[in-house]
Amino acid sequence: MKIALAQISPHLGNVKKNVDMHLKYIEKAKKKNVDLLIFPELSLTGYTLKDLVAEVALSPDSDPFFDELKTASRDVSLVFGFVEEKERGLFYNSAAFLSEGKILHIHRKVFLPTYGMFEEGKFFALGKNFHTFSTPYGKAGMMICRDFLNYGACYLLFAGGSEVIIVISAAPGRGIQDKEAYETSRMWESMGETISLFSTAFLIYCNRVGFEDGKHFSGGSFIYDPMGKMVAKASYLDNEFLLQEINLDDIREVRKKWPYKRDDRPEIILEALKRIIGKYED
Amino acid sequence: MKINEPFVEKILTAFIREELSKFNYKKGILGISGGLDSAVCASLAAKALKPSNVIGLIMPYGESFSEDVKDAQEFSRLLKIRSRTINISPMVDAYFSSYPTKNKILKGNKIARERMSILYDFSAREKALILGTSNKTELLLGYGTIHGDMACGINPLGDLYKNQIRQLAEYLGIPEEIRKKVPSAGLWVGQTDEEEIGLSYDEIDKILHQLVDKRTPKKDIIASGFKKETVEKIIRLIKNSEFKRKLPPIPKISSRSVGHDFLFPFDWDK
Repeated sequence: MKIALAQISPHLGNVKKNVDMHLKYIEKAKKKNVDLLIFPELSLTGYTLKDLVAEVALSPDSDPFFDELKTASRDVSLVFGFVEEKERGLFYNSAAFLSEGKILHIHRKVFLPTYGMFEEGKFFALGKNFHTFSTPYGKAGMMICRDFLNYGACYLLFAGGSEVIIVISAAPGRGIQDKEAYETSRMWESMGETISLFSTAFLIYCNRVGFEDGKHFSGGSFIYDPMGKMVAKASYLDNEFLLQEINLDDIREVRKKWPYKRDDRPEIILEALKRIIGKYED
Repeated sequence: MKINEPFVEKILTAFIREELSKFNYKKGILGISGGLDSAVCASLAAKALKPSNVIGLIMPYGESFSEDVKDAQEFSRLLKIRSRTINISPMVDAYFSSYPTKNKILKGNKIARERMSILYDFSAREKALILGTSNKTELLLGYGTIHGDMACGINPLGDLYKNQIRQLAEYLGIPEEIRKKVPSAGLWVGQTDEEEIGLSYDEIDKILHQLVDKRTPKKDIIASGFKKETVEKIIRLIKNSEFKRKLPPIPKISSRSVGHDFLFPFDWDK
């Protein structure tokens, strides 16, 4: 299958402009016979929204912008980020997987960073699940940015049977050093390598670029194969349309050699977790 | 604290280009003193924009800094940016002839704010965004005049310590006579930053890097070999200058207030 990552810089707070930008990339993807096109976190809205959250929120079932993207997904499957008004007045930082004109899944960000330069917990409601779902390209799971830095979240997608793990991100670079990369880029890449290798699954990470209020989103989108090998990587600084062919049969091949999935024991993990939680003090 | 100069250059030029385009500016304007920081900022702006879209204002007070003025003019020619020299003595002297003072700081602040006032005037005349030149060391210590040299539209250098600016300056090929100058705010003859602060930039930057970037506790910094008084002085300077890094407090009395819970991004719909 052919995957494309759109490492873009969305317009902050302008859904219309961003939908148009998405449609342009969709046209480009169609011309290249892409099966799955992935955009970054909050790609329809931009990241530093603050009090704009309510203004840019969409209801997937009734929103005309969403209908446009659903229609576009008849030709190419889409993953993108948006602000979801799931119930009146409850706003989520969400990722949608659209295919064949339908919504296959919406993931709502669970780990909302709220410290230092981050304030998502002030503006978003908390998602509560990591779900693996069927797609035309095998079973998939989604995470949003900080979700991916929690290995419990990654485990849930592994235990759920995800063969393709998709992470969409709006990660600002932090820490200049004597290298052509921010210090923080390493943490995404080491997670990418580790999770793909030990989940024996494809790991796709789509980050954004550009500046918002001085925050510099540090690109570096990548794809790891189920052997933990990086097969595609975008630049840290520039807009990019990254194309990569992947072969889902690689999952079968590597699992013959490394049977981590076969040997997983979620019931033991669950019981052990219950015992840990049971010991919490009030 | 070593930086990768090409990476930082790419980030800062992209920042200048992107911010100007978001706010519909083609041109950038900045004050050029003949010193290091404004030279680095001008050089980045010339790379980010076309040199002809960068305006450097050279604003000497009197004849005492003719050497700096000459360096600033030569450097502007080297970068092929537009420059203009405006003597601010008539405006500043007019004020102090009515309200005389012997206080150097008062006079220095007035000079810094006179330059700011001219920069904002030319910013409007030329429709050019003001590029700030305050570095991270100055911002943290509060070594700058509030609403004077600290005033700007965007500040590309604000997250680089003085010694990192020096690294970048060498990479950018800033002429040696500018790079080798003793850092000075240039507000009176003989003024130097290090003498006025009472510490060397090398020492200040090392301590700030530990305190701010590494979040190292004070006692550990002292244990690593810095003098207790020095570390305490730096902490005091940071604390006492917080007001220069913030908008003024507003008493919150309504249900939604500027500066409290009216929260919108700077780059709103850009």
